[in-house]
Amino acid sequence: MSTIRQQLASPLQLLVLASAGIILLPLGYVTAQALSADPVVWSRLWATRIPELLFNTVSLAASVAVITLVLGVSTAWLVTRVDFPGRRLWEGALVLPLAMPTYVLAYVYSYLLGFGGPVEHLWQLVAGPQARIFSPHSYGGATLVMALDTFPFVYLLSRSALLSMNVSFEEVARASGVSRLSTLWRVTLPLMRPSIAAGVALVILYVVSDFGAVSLLRYQTLTYAVFQQMTGRSDNTAASILSLLLVGLALIFLITERWFRQRSRFYQTTGRYRAPQRHRYGWFGALAVTGYLGLIVGAAFALPASLLIQWSLSPEAQATLDSRFFGFVWNSGILATSAATGGVLICLPLAYLASRRPTMLNLGCLQAAYAGYVLPGPVAALAVLVLFSKLAPVFYGSVLILIVAYVIHFLPAGLQSLEPALQHMSPNLEEVARTLGLGIRDTWRRVTLPLVRNGFVVAWVLMFLQTMKELPATLLLRPVGFDTLAIRVWMEASEEYYQLAAPSALLIVLLSLPALALLISKDWRAA
Amino acid sequence: MSFVYSLPALHRTILSGLVLLFTAGIFVPSAPAADKLTIYSGRSERLIKPVLDAFTANTGIQIELLSSGTTELVNRLKSEGDRTPADLLITNDAGSLELARAAGLLHPLNMREIERAIPAQFRAPDNAWVGLSGRFWIVVYNRTMVQPDQVKSLLDLADPKWKDKIAIPNSGSEYLQAGVSVIRATYGDEKTRQFLQGLKTNADSQVYQKSSQIVDAVAKGQVALGIVNHYYVYRHLAAQPDAPIAVLMPDQQEGGMGAIMNVAGVGIVKSTKHMDSAKLLVEFLVAQAGQKLFADLDKEYPLHPDVKTDPALVERKSFRAALVPLAKLAELREPTIALIEEVGLR
Repeated sequence: MSTIRQQLASPLQLLVLASAGIILLPLGYVTAQALSADPVVWSRLWATRIPELLFNTVSLAASVAVITLVLGVSTAWLVTRVDFPGRRLWEGALVLPLAMPTYVLAYVYSYLLGFGGPVEHLWQLVAGPQARIFSPHSYGGATLVMALDTFPFVYLLSRSALLSMNVSFEEVARASGVSRLSTLWRVTLPLMRPSIAAGVALVILYVVSDFGAVSLLRYQTLTYAVFQQMTGRSDNTAASILSLLLVGLALIFLITERWFRQRSRFYQTTGRYRAPQRHRYGWFGALAVTGYLGLIVGAAFALPASLLIQWSLSPEAQATLDSRFFGFVWNSGILATSAATGGVLICLPLAYLASRRPTMLNLGCLQAAYAGYVLPGPVAALAVLVLFSKLAPVFYGSVLILIVAYVIHFLPAGLQSLEPALQHMSPNLEEVARTLGLGIRDTWRRVTLPLVRNGFVVAWVLMFLQTMKELPATLLLRPVGFDTLAIRVWMEASEEYYQLAAPSALLIVLLSLPALALLISKDWRAA
Repeated sequence: MSFVYSLPALHRTILSGLVLLFTAGIFVPSAPAADKLTIYSGRSERLIKPVLDAFTANTGIQIELLSSGTTELVNRLKSEGDRTPADLLITNDAGSLELARAAGLLHPLNMREIERAIPAQFRAPDNAWVGLSGRFWIVVYNRTMVQPDQVKSLLDLADPKWKDKIAIPNSGSEYLQAGVSVIRATYGDEKTRQFLQGLKTNADSQVYQKSSQIVDAVAKGQVALGIVNHYYVYRHLAAQPDAPIAVLMPDQQEGGMGAIMNVAGVGIVKSTKHMDSAKLLVEFLVAQAGQKLFADLDKEYPLHPDVKTDPALVERKSFRAALVPLAKLAELREPTIALIEEVGLR
């Protein structure tokens, strides 16, 4: 009993409880609003929109999952198990698509594949002037864009599985006379299964919560529908109901991902590590591999990036590079800096208490902080909006509620890099400092913080990057005069002013690159 | 990642910079300066900014603009209540303005300038909102694919012969909601439902967020027909004079309901602390010069009877408008949305 009282009294503990509260309250509020909605609204939505939206969302997630599985695993296998010229270059290049926000890729592809666009013109040279290609504003288009943008998740996880795998399993299989292909199928792939599954689950989570691509490609998913309900209706009941469904769906995938990630711990520590042997391919093989990788990286990054550069250099785009443009850059910077700093400050006590005093309460608070994973942008915006307009209307329309939405939404990304940093640090170090006469505060300042600084920086960069790219919550909550780069891209691109959208889009991509480089060596999971 | 370890100095600088910013009070909505107006605009930035820039050039009053969805902005005004930073609301839909007025968000105006400039049917009885330009919900067609006599009424577009040949706006569009409201008021719910069902089947996936995309799709021949506000067609033609598209004024046949009209308008937000500057802006917008600028920028019909319509447009006297009063659009909206949802338009 006394320990509980002691815990509750500690200021750190109060801070942690408050943070968990800030995160869970909006979610609870949306749930309550959805559940208390008039059953008529529920049945109307069931009869009209929900089946279509669920089907669209799930089928998009499924097709993207299959494609990213193939792309991710094959590319990972090639760069780890085959030796060809420029291998190390490709190893890094395959991560580049992560620097492209989905809405940027979507808008580039709606130009490329659009009606009367360059690809169609090329095709008409081959197949006659009346020939049509498939429209990017469709299931196929959304699948293509999302798959190109998210396959690096699967690639990265598969690659690290292939690198950390104990090669003796494969060698035993080969020595026992199993063919190379059969070894791949019966030994290597099964060993990689947990990593692949975790990567695919991550992809699905990403697809389910994406707003940018589906809105520009006009593909109706739950996330898009929540946004449309919020902007087209005078009350938020229907939006809450759809949000609740979306949260449920995301939760299923999140749990799946966790489950696979836990299972993947079993084998990775076993055995002695040795670098796998790489097959050396002849010139033809090397050419084929390079062509394959070039096609993927070209479609997912090089081609869109060069189009953005070309558009940015056009006179129309140059004309927009005035003081207003730098205002948007400044807004993006301010918002991302505040959200990242606020996020890290909330992350730190949560992760610290959960690792140093792993009581049920503290672990519960930590888990609560991961709720952001299942709150796609529009839902986070809705939740914060509803909560603030009821409890603290003073802040409505201020920067604060936008930042709260960001923090809730992106906290998991920060926690994922802070949590391991704290866990890797032995509590002995702090204890030694205390026994040598340092006070609690000094121990924190001189021992704990310097030791977790690395994780701290990575968490900050991650949240900065994500806030910078964030679209739906910014659209819904931005105060007057707070248009960001992402907003400009979306506003111009949704009216098909491709050139005008390009400079902002290019800048987002360029700013993402160094952050991406930093994360690849750390925690890329939420990039 | 050695450079991460060498970051402490930079890190500290960043942190202290942040602390400064925080204390600078960016979190509190700053009180706008006296000679500055904040406008919530459902009209896109491209179409309103030049007019506002002209106002700033004339008066020296600076303008802060938030462009977003109309309904979204009205929701926002409601939630913000008296604390809203907005001084004026500009939208492209009379129904939204009337809803805002009914919710007590707008300030009634007693200004001779308004009464002299804008005919009574285009403003609220208490002038809480004032129409600025007229727009018509019309059919745009591709001249190489459709003969203009193939379509007489908007309702013809539900005919199965147009399957996969039409493009429509999405169900969140205020224009669609206003248009369907007028059809309901004229023909009743049952006929409207059949119309919407036909429209949904015919359009299938050709449902657009932006009307400019619909015109684009028609111009490229992706679809033969689309429903949009008239000015999108002229705007497209201004950029690409050779595009094979034209405006079809629907429902002009004997006994037809007439073309569906809506107005873009402005209202002063009740809690404004800059009443004088806000009134100056309204005055500017209803005066002849402002009317010409506001309407021409978007190829709309000025409402001031003495201001000439852009010669590129179909002459206003040559067609009839539907008889449903603009203010009625507000009360018609909710049941219209329910009907649209029931049919399951996207």
